[in-house]
Amino acid sequence: MTRKEPVIRKPAFLTDGISTGYGGHVVSQSLSLSVESGSRTSLVGPNGSGKSTTLKTLARLMAPLAGTVYLNGQDINRLPTRQVARQMAILPQVHEVPAELTVLELVEQGRFPHVGALRMLRRQDDEAIEEAIRMTRLEDFTHRPIDTLSGGERQRAWMALALAQRTEILLLDEPTTFLDVGHQLDLLQLVSGLNRDQGVTIVMVLHDLNHAARFSDRMIAMSGGEIVADGVPGEVLTPGLLRDCFGVEASVVTDPNTGSPMCIPYSPILSGNDGRE
Amino acid sequence: MTITAVVSRRGNVAAAPAVRTRRILVTLGLVLLALMFAYVMLGPVIFSPDLVVKALFDRAEAVHHRISVWEVRLPRVLIAALAGSMLSSSGALLQSVLRNPLAAPATVGVTQGAVLGAVLALVVTFGSEGALNDLNALVPLAAIAGGLLAGALVYVLSYRRAGADPIRLILTGVVVAAAVSSVTSFMVLISGSHIDSIVLWLVGSLSTRTWDHLVFLVPVAVLVLPLVVMAIPLANALQLGDSTSVSLGLRSEAARAFILMTAVVLAAGSVSVVGGIAFLGLIGPHLARSLVGSDLRRLLICSALVGAVILVGADLLARVFSLDWIPFVDVRTESGSRVPVGAFTALVGAPFFIYLMRERTR
Repeated sequence: MTRKEPVIRKPAFLTDGISTGYGGHVVSQSLSLSVESGSRTSLVGPNGSGKSTTLKTLARLMAPLAGTVYLNGQDINRLPTRQVARQMAILPQVHEVPAELTVLELVEQGRFPHVGALRMLRRQDDEAIEEAIRMTRLEDFTHRPIDTLSGGERQRAWMALALAQRTEILLLDEPTTFLDVGHQLDLLQLVSGLNRDQGVTIVMVLHDLNHAARFSDRMIAMSGGEIVADGVPGEVLTPGLLRDCFGVEASVVTDPNTGSPMCIPYSPILSGNDGRE
Repeated sequence: MTITAVVSRRGNVAAAPAVRTRRILVTLGLVLLALMFAYVMLGPVIFSPDLVVKALFDRAEAVHHRISVWEVRLPRVLIAALAGSMLSSSGALLQSVLRNPLAAPATVGVTQGAVLGAVLALVVTFGSEGALNDLNALVPLAAIAGGLLAGALVYVLSYRRAGADPIRLILTGVVVAAAVSSVTSFMVLISGSHIDSIVLWLVGSLSTRTWDHLVFLVPVAVLVLPLVVMAIPLANALQLGDSTSVSLGLRSEAARAFILMTAVVLAAGSVSVVGGIAFLGLIGPHLARSLVGSDLRRLLICSALVGAVILVGADLLARVFSLDWIPFVDVRTESGSRVPVGAFTALVGAPFFIYLMRERTR
């Protein structure tokens, strides 16, 4: 509720009608989007709606086919990539875990954008590493190879890597996909804490609509590469949107514990209009 | 639990692996030195340790001791150590950057390319008389060119749009390796009476290696060393995947190309002097990883040491088996050359590799 104050902040991200896609395949056209600094934004939508592609384009993991993504007012694809990495960290959806790499060795890499390649030859003992490990509660796992950890611990280790980067922006691509419900809430609370305590701008792709509604200030719903709804969760998460965008009949109620909107889908609407992928 | 308890416990845990790693590296270094010393002692004539020391410091009582030590055994063992460490380091870089445990100089075609270069040079120069002296310069040069060409070919063939992804690189590498090998086989078939020395190149051998070869290998190693140092932090970031490495501020495709080039030069340099040693570029880094983990700051040094130990050890075995004391078995090939070291790395390497894999997946 306190977030309603009309504070004017510069946008962390601004896109001027970008087209996104890969190869010859266009996913979105003329996508205009502005993400306020210090906010929590969730991108939601059915499979193939273009939400992940949008996030990857913001993250410069993919270049826009047309148009420009501005990071704090500068063309992200023209900035030196290390300079971008000092402002923005990314938690990708899929991780490649080298066998036998320990948690500490992984988290150390978070200092790469700050110290540069050659100084990474030395052991990094920046305070940021220690804090990242403490925040993700991995103190007891620092010397464990990552491939011996559970799914939840492993995701926390990757989260610690992103935290050690000490950036003002954090992008997360379906961070809870492979986690059980306890670890899902744990991770989303950690992310929200970063936003609340340190003012980190959060942009994330989430599959779980109720999590998106609870852990963001703004939800952007995408379908077929277009933004179909954009606003505070209460405005976006409606039976109408669930019907048009996700193809389910659902009722939306207020979560008795958190007060955020919550949807309960009860039946799919079968039509030939899905499978846009 | 208080914060100091957490910190001190972390401190203790943090110290342990560093000490352990140092201990492993020092032990490997000592093992290498011991093997090298044993290597210089051993030969058709076995020298006592004090005789070796005397000969090394130029106080030998007999001229032939000095010649054996300085002109035959010492250059050969130095080549073994250097070539072994280069091949194994190359494999470590390739496995990290291609994120594939099967990556090695021989699975991406570099070894085969270098061998083909050497074989071509051999076949061309066989026609001319007194070619043997020229070989010392021409064969390694042709081999290194062959290895670099094969590496470049694999990269170019794997390149699509924005880059060469690891899976495509390794698949292309396997195909190029097979194609290049078949050309080599053809060369072997038409080589006629010179087949013996060609086979030594295919298998990898240290016999008749002299200071001339070392003088060729050392500059390659010295030139590639700064590249290796630069490749270490890049490979550490790149082995976390392309998305993560971009997130960390790495230009991932440029980094990949740079690391691959470094690995190719290491392998081609090594093969150009000792031939297509089997398995070392694959096993060395695996063994090293099981000792010190995947962080390349430690893995690369450990791989280099392990590679040197394996090649020196294998050639020591090859020399022991080449002595005349084994009854009924004439292990010399027709032209009188000794058992090539490459035969031993393959013979010992294959079962050992299987053992390692079974241990790992247990």
